[in-house]
Amino acid sequence: MTPSDRSLGPAWGYASFYLFIRCGGRRAAYALLQAVCAFYVLFRSQVRQGCLPYLRQRFPHDVGLVRLLQIYRMVLAFGTVLVDRAIAGLLGPEQLRVSLAGRAQLLALRDQRRGMVLMMSHVGCWQVAMSALDFLEQPVAMLMQPDTRSRERHYHDYRGGERPWHLIDPAGYLGGALEMMAVLKQGGILSVMGDRLPPHERNRVRVTFLGRPVDLPYSAFQLASATGAPVVVMFSRKSSADSYEMALAETIEVPAGLGRRPEAYRPYVQRYADLLATYCHDNPYQFFNFFDLWQSDAGQDAVVQQK
Amino acid sequence: MTIKEKLKQILVEDLNLEDITPEEINDEDPLFGEGLGLDSLDAVELVVLVQKHFGVEIKDMEQGRPALQSVNTLAAFIEQNQA
Repeated sequence: MTPSDRSLGPAWGYASFYLFIRCGGRRAAYALLQAVCAFYVLFRSQVRQGCLPYLRQRFPHDVGLVRLLQIYRMVLAFGTVLVDRAIAGLLGPEQLRVSLAGRAQLLALRDQRRGMVLMMSHVGCWQVAMSALDFLEQPVAMLMQPDTRSRERHYHDYRGGERPWHLIDPAGYLGGALEMMAVLKQGGILSVMGDRLPPHERNRVRVTFLGRPVDLPYSAFQLASATGAPVVVMFSRKSSADSYEMALAETIEVPAGLGRRPEAYRPYVQRYADLLATYCHDNPYQFFNFFDLWQSDAGQDAVVQQK
Repeated sequence: MTIKEKLKQILVEDLNLEDITPEEINDEDPLFGEGLGLDSLDAVELVVLVQKHFGVEIKDMEQGRPALQSVNTLAAFIEQNQA
């Protein structure tokens, strides 16, 4: 496999952005980005198709040029995150200001030594926002498959720096379940994506998201039930040209002993889906999960009343 | 009831194994994958159940990987670690 298999563009395209960042800074890179995004939206149907499942739920009544503009805004917002990551990596992390809402709560949870499940989502720029958690002074273990097939890099990769988190590979032994348990039992921090669909249907539970049924994973909530760790739902968003906000949305406490039945976890997964929906209402173009969450059989059911 | 019998009962009743009874589980059957078909979430639950029923904690992957191979290996781990 070559790196281009999962990249968004050719190598020279990435090099062009790096050149613009080094020579012209943020504004030059953003100007190039606007042109590139317009090209992708107009001439790459797969880009448009990737945005449509979400936009159809978020803006169900819009069509035509309005929809095209929404796609452009979504693609531009995603591209901006990628450019910002490169800016932080090439010009230094001080180029981006990252603020955190919920610092006191996080410190209190850390001091309880119960472990902590940080539930992130494909919104904003979680990689940059994670840098706002340095004050916890605890290593973060992250459930994430190392992607060697893409040219997209994390901000620490640009300078050859060490990855600021420990990776737990979901393709590893038992999906990394024992590693994740060990992290939490030792009072550590485990970061997971709450909106990443697991391959096995048995590990999903059906909830409502943006008015229609979707299947979301409940493994993080099962881990919380098994270890006593709280689930801390956090969202990041780009708040201005050079700043990001990371906010603790809610801490979800899952009772011990809920067992293996998906139904037991539905209320907690639904709560996460509701928080994510609120985020999408407040930040409609910063949702970057391009997978069609609504495509399952659940999505074919009767439309649930829009909240 | 022996440790192995208790483990088989836990596997069927608490992990909701369908179309199989405790008596039909062989001691050497792999617990995960093509054996009994358990998955990663079952592993989490099994760790909890072992602690609940036998008072034995599986602390990490170094302990868990060899112990969670079959009913035989798990029973042996429990016997070794029970107070």
